[in-house]
Amino acid sequence: MRKPFLWATVAFMLIPLYVLTVNAFKGQQDILENPFGFGGLTLEPLGTALTNPQFNVFKGYAITLLFVVAVNVLSVLLAAPAAYVIARSPKRRFRVLMLFFLAGTFIPGQVLVIPVVYVLKTLGLMGTIRGFVLFETVLTLPFSIFLYAGYIATIPAVLDQAAAVDGAGRLRTFWRIVFPLMKPAVATMVILNTFSVWNDFVNPQIILGPGSGLYTVTTGVYAAVSQYSTDYTVVFPTLLLAIAPLLVFFVFMQRHIISGLTAGATKG
Amino acid sequence: MTLTREAPPVVTKPPGPPKRRPRDGWANAIMVAPATVLYVVMLIVPVALALYLSLTDWDGFSANPAFVGAANYVDLLDDPELRRAALVTLLVAVAGTAGLNLLGLGFAVLVNGASRANTFFRIVLFYPHVLSALVVGFLWSAILGTNGAVNNLVTRWGGEVLPFLSDPTWATITMIAVLVWAGFGVNVVLYLAGLQAVPHSLVEAARIDGATRWQVFRNVTLPALGPSVTVNIVLSLVTLLKTYDLVVSLTAGGPAGQTQTVAYLILWNSFHDARLGFGSAQSVLLMLVTGALAFVVTKLRRRGELAVHQ
Repeated sequence: MRKPFLWATVAFMLIPLYVLTVNAFKGQQDILENPFGFGGLTLEPLGTALTNPQFNVFKGYAITLLFVVAVNVLSVLLAAPAAYVIARSPKRRFRVLMLFFLAGTFIPGQVLVIPVVYVLKTLGLMGTIRGFVLFETVLTLPFSIFLYAGYIATIPAVLDQAAAVDGAGRLRTFWRIVFPLMKPAVATMVILNTFSVWNDFVNPQIILGPGSGLYTVTTGVYAAVSQYSTDYTVVFPTLLLAIAPLLVFFVFMQRHIISGLTAGATKG
Repeated sequence: MTLTREAPPVVTKPPGPPKRRPRDGWANAIMVAPATVLYVVMLIVPVALALYLSLTDWDGFSANPAFVGAANYVDLLDDPELRRAALVTLLVAVAGTAGLNLLGLGFAVLVNGASRANTFFRIVLFYPHVLSALVVGFLWSAILGTNGAVNNLVTRWGGEVLPFLSDPTWATITMIAVLVWAGFGVNVVLYLAGLQAVPHSLVEAARIDGATRWQVFRNVTLPALGPSVTVNIVLSLVTLLKTYDLVVSLTAGGPAGQTQTVAYLILWNSFHDARLGFGSAQSVLLMLVTGALAFVVTKLRRRGELAVHQ
């Protein structure tokens, strides 16, 4: 009873993916006549999607990847040292700072998107890559600092003291001794941030805007698909191209990704 | 005066934490300041600004928005569009939370235990969460549309075309179903983590005492899962109350604006109608409702757990 039911569920979960993949290689007529069959497979729609003037997929990949890398690097550079001081210093003011950052995990992104436009305009960063990357980075900070501080607390402080006795300053102690030991926590955050930046739609759509000509994978898909939603030779290949890199990444790293994203889900 | 040569006393420092050097204070500041400054400028200031902007008529362009007092909040109370969106959002949040948690807990029990097959099941249940909600919505709207794959089968078998997305009631149900399809894998993983914490000895003892599988689940596993259930319900509610991307791609708020959620309306009012002040008022309201609901659910669940333990 249990096994057949689970396999039926597997089918239900995977059929949309199957429909997407098989129809990405078919003409409109073949899709309409038999959306599940293999009739008339062709590479043409995929080729058209790759050269779509509305949305250059490779440029979309490149821009999104750039954002992903920039946000991850910046997030680690900012959050890790701050978390180190918070975790190691007995001073009251750093405990208060932790609570201050923690409060940020409760603020929904929807509340921020309007006033952030105001802030970015004031700073002259609206519609720029810098502005977008900075804002996305800030969104990662509260949870990163929370996670890193918790992890650093499990690393014996004797290590820091040994380094200090040997004459290393606080910065050197952190980056040379403690940071290399934080790999698991950093890996979790990198996975989390990678998916949230790659899949974000609202922020790039509003901060970068259609006028900037900077399309991420999601805003590009929106530009390419939303007006042509009945032309399946546009919809299916474009969607397949949008999710293919993520799915490959997921298949190879599924264990880490599932635990990373689940840790992220609990941040609320 | 005689000079006595005394050996200087040998001082051995007791081993212990080295003295904090004054430089450390500066180092601390350097390590904490960049994150703190950026956090304040781009997260704390915007929250305060959201409150302020909700009292203005900002259109997104003017540098000096006019102060209008509580006018936006008054408008919002008798805005029929918002009332409908609030109803849709509440429906999505409540029905979706029920779906996510029933499926999440049910499947967690089914795929609990280490085996290759179970690992595969978990991966398959989880994978939609990796995709952006935008893509999920476009994909399902292509599958469920009038000419989509499902209606192709239905008509081939002699049925009428089903209005999955073209009828308001159907479209709302479709949206909830897609949200549950895309999201319950996360709840499965969260509940699985909770199940690991259920004491094995309790389950064994109940079994030996002759309890059925269902009785064990109802009376041993479920009470022990209490905290997991709270976390899952709160998370589902908070996430679903913010549903936006999927509305854009699955229904575009339609038909005739009947499936607009509050989050969709906020961004529509703000950026399509250039009423960012009004949108801010709505977003402040959404934040308050989300926070209050999460608080109430946590409180209620805690009371329930206490009752169980007494």
